[in-house]
Amino acid sequence: MAVALTMVQMKVAVLRHSMTGQRAGFIVMGALVGLVLAVGTIFLAFSWADLLTAVYAVWMLGWIFGPVFAGGGDETLRPEYFTLVGLPPRRLASGLLVAAFVGVAPVISLLALTGLTVFGARQGVVAALVSVPALLLQLVVFVLLSRVAVALLGLALRSRVGAIGAGLINGLILATLGQIWVVFVALGQTQGIPPVVTTVTRYLPSGWGLVAVEAAASGDWLRAAAALGGMALLIALLLTAWAALLTRRAGATRAATRGRRPMRATTASGAVLAKELRTWSRDLVRTHQLTFAFAYGVCFAAAPLLMNWNGMLPWAGPIFVLMAAAMSANLYGSDGTALWLTLMTPGATDVRGRQHAWLLAVAPLAVVLTLSLAVVTGGPEPTLLAILLALLGGGAGLVPLASVYALIPGTDPHRRGGNPLRSTEEDGAVTGMVYAVLALTALTAVPAAIATALLGWAGVAVGALTGVLCYWGFGLLAERRLLAEGPELLDMMRTGRRPAAKPGAVGRTRFEDLTRRQQIIAMICFTTGAIPLFPQGVVAGYLKVSESSTRSWFLALYLPSWLQWPTIVFMVVLGVAMYTTGVIVSYRRKESPVAGRETVTSTEAA
Amino acid sequence: MTAALEISGLCKTFGEKVAVDHVDLSIPQGSFYGLVGQNGAGKTTTLSMAVGLLRPDEGGARIFGADVWSNPAEAKTLVGVLPDGMAMPERLTGREVLTYLGLLRGLPREVVDQRAEELLSVLELDEAEKTLVIEYSTGMRKKIGLATALLHAPRLLVLDEPFEAVDPVSAATIKTILRGFVAGGGSIVLSSHVMALVEQLCDHVAVIDKGKVAAAGSLNEVRGDGSLEDTFVGLVGASDGGSKELTWLSR
Repeated sequence: MAVALTMVQMKVAVLRHSMTGQRAGFIVMGALVGLVLAVGTIFLAFSWADLLTAVYAVWMLGWIFGPVFAGGGDETLRPEYFTLVGLPPRRLASGLLVAAFVGVAPVISLLALTGLTVFGARQGVVAALVSVPALLLQLVVFVLLSRVAVALLGLALRSRVGAIGAGLINGLILATLGQIWVVFVALGQTQGIPPVVTTVTRYLPSGWGLVAVEAAASGDWLRAAAALGGMALLIALLLTAWAALLTRRAGATRAATRGRRPMRATTASGAVLAKELRTWSRDLVRTHQLTFAFAYGVCFAAAPLLMNWNGMLPWAGPIFVLMAAAMSANLYGSDGTALWLTLMTPGATDVRGRQHAWLLAVAPLAVVLTLSLAVVTGGPEPTLLAILLALLGGGAGLVPLASVYALIPGTDPHRRGGNPLRSTEEDGAVTGMVYAVLALTALTAVPAAIATALLGWAGVAVGALTGVLCYWGFGLLAERRLLAEGPELLDMMRTGRRPAAKPGAVGRTRFEDLTRRQQIIAMICFTTGAIPLFPQGVVAGYLKVSESSTRSWFLALYLPSWLQWPTIVFMVVLGVAMYTTGVIVSYRRKESPVAGRETVTSTEAA
Repeated sequence: MTAALEISGLCKTFGEKVAVDHVDLSIPQGSFYGLVGQNGAGKTTTLSMAVGLLRPDEGGARIFGADVWSNPAEAKTLVGVLPDGMAMPERLTGREVLTYLGLLRGLPREVVDQRAEELLSVLELDEAEKTLVIEYSTGMRKKIGLATALLHAPRLLVLDEPFEAVDPVSAATIKTILRGFVAGGGSIVLSSHVMALVEQLCDHVAVIDKGKVAAAGSLNEVRGDGSLEDTFVGLVGASDGGSKELTWLSR
């Protein structure tokens, strides 16, 4: 236990040091989103307990797949730190496991899992009591599944076959989840969740906690014990597996013996292109991302075939493009401090080369996929082609643009240790960026979609035009930004810290520049302001207007009717006031700026 | 004569910590200039600002008269840089890195090929022809870094800890290359905390301590009659003299 306690202390210390500035902001934001989801889950335990197993299955999948796409999961304590300590693998794994519970995600999940207690309490005291070990075991299962999944994928990413295989499987699973409604329809269930889902999710490890609580409520002790014992057994197995995987990871070396094709470029832009294309094919993380995007597109679009509708099939191409753009969102961040070479060779067109390479990696596959599937399903239609062209240009423009404007400092490739997925310490920010680029790239296709709706085939020209404009314009913006802020971006990459706002810059106060008191006030306002504003205010108001009988935890609805509206209005005002306070506190300039420290670069002086 | 590198009034503050505090240095053409200082003294920060990889809070730098910040295109073609611990295009082989960078610098393909061939063989990197840079050892990384700095035939080399983790045989090779470069009229600034090495190679030296220049000039001016190590310890060393022992290790 001493090992575990030391590791916990280490992790707490590391987390405390990293809770600064924008990173703290991201953590708070992520915690807030998690909190809303957790409260939603608990809410389900009150009303639709049938759905609970399905929802816990989603939490479990989040634990398994989250790290795959967002920086390789929590690795505040890397196993490599302890290689020289000489711990037996099992003790190392258990120590790391205990430390893994320190952090935002486990706390949020624990909160979500208290839904089991809520559910149990509704059945009786005994069930409520059983829910406590059930939810704790359940959390351990989640965390361990996550670790084992990351370790397994890390192992798979040591070979091309593994990377491609993992990409295909992950794409298939996530696309199926995204299209789960099709599966429901195919099962003959046109409304609601079919009973089979409840049954299946009950058998998944994420459902065993609920099974235990249910069994305890009905006095079926054998079943309850089996469910709890099953989780304990699974934990033991996963821990053993993880310990074994950790030793593989620490001892891993990879020798490259394959023949390399010679670089044939003769110009500067050709050289950037050749470098990028080689990175695309040789970096197995990128190979995995591309394969994933491809598998996701195909499976997502093919899912409706289950109900004998092939109309979606050709859309595999555009979906692939969207996913590929989102996956490569932090392009410059993933190369780390290699940016210094770009800075030392002014005049070289790095951005254009990267755009070109991205297009070459994505476009041929996307075009062939779209056209061939369109032919199979009866000829391409204008909307499809217009959107495909617009998305290709939009993605090729937005990927470099987003990665220089919202750069997330990464870990240099040669410092990622045994976890190739660990491209950055800021998993939350990366997740946000993936979704943002996904949404923004989708937006670039809107003009094309509207144009084809109005003009038919002429819309394809509009799609091509917006594509070219995005490619050219966004690339230009990225190039300019790189030229103007290159040293700052490099410094951010090198230190992992975002650059300080220049003294005198208006409205750009950084969180860490605030006093401790201001920080606390701002954090409380931002994190809890949503509670009075939305559930207690807006939602309660909506329920009152719609004369719903649900009262749940909406305070106003429990009060005498003459007090209800004033309470709702008060809650809304309170929420708005909290947000306003938060904004004012954060954006007010610090009162005593460091005197006499002016930023004079030689450029300005010259 | 214009200085090869003129550093004037460079300042950099990270949060509360003043990393570089009004550093002025003039590196004459044809000199082999050593920058010595303890860990964290500000050597790397100074050199990064001098070549345009880090924006200074104040001050500037000129390479053969070309301002690094207002005229980067000219300044950066004249300098070859080896930074400490930065990433490279990791998924390329050594030869591909050199090809890529040579083309990026606008060199014709034949010139790039010929220089890459020569650099790889002199630095003994040609045996690892199929190895990607990400799989290189620390010493190999230094060597390929040095090759990239030399590739475009710069007139000034700025090298941050070029001998760290390099084996003695390769170090001897590198020393020969660097001496030849200076003999041919080139200028070099290198940072190191190995005094013997600086004494052996350099004709000029500057001692950096806590972000300031504690001493600068020709090697003989700075070290006087003693060794550079004694001078260095005298300038920056702990005041209580004698080195400390670890109690649990001595029996």
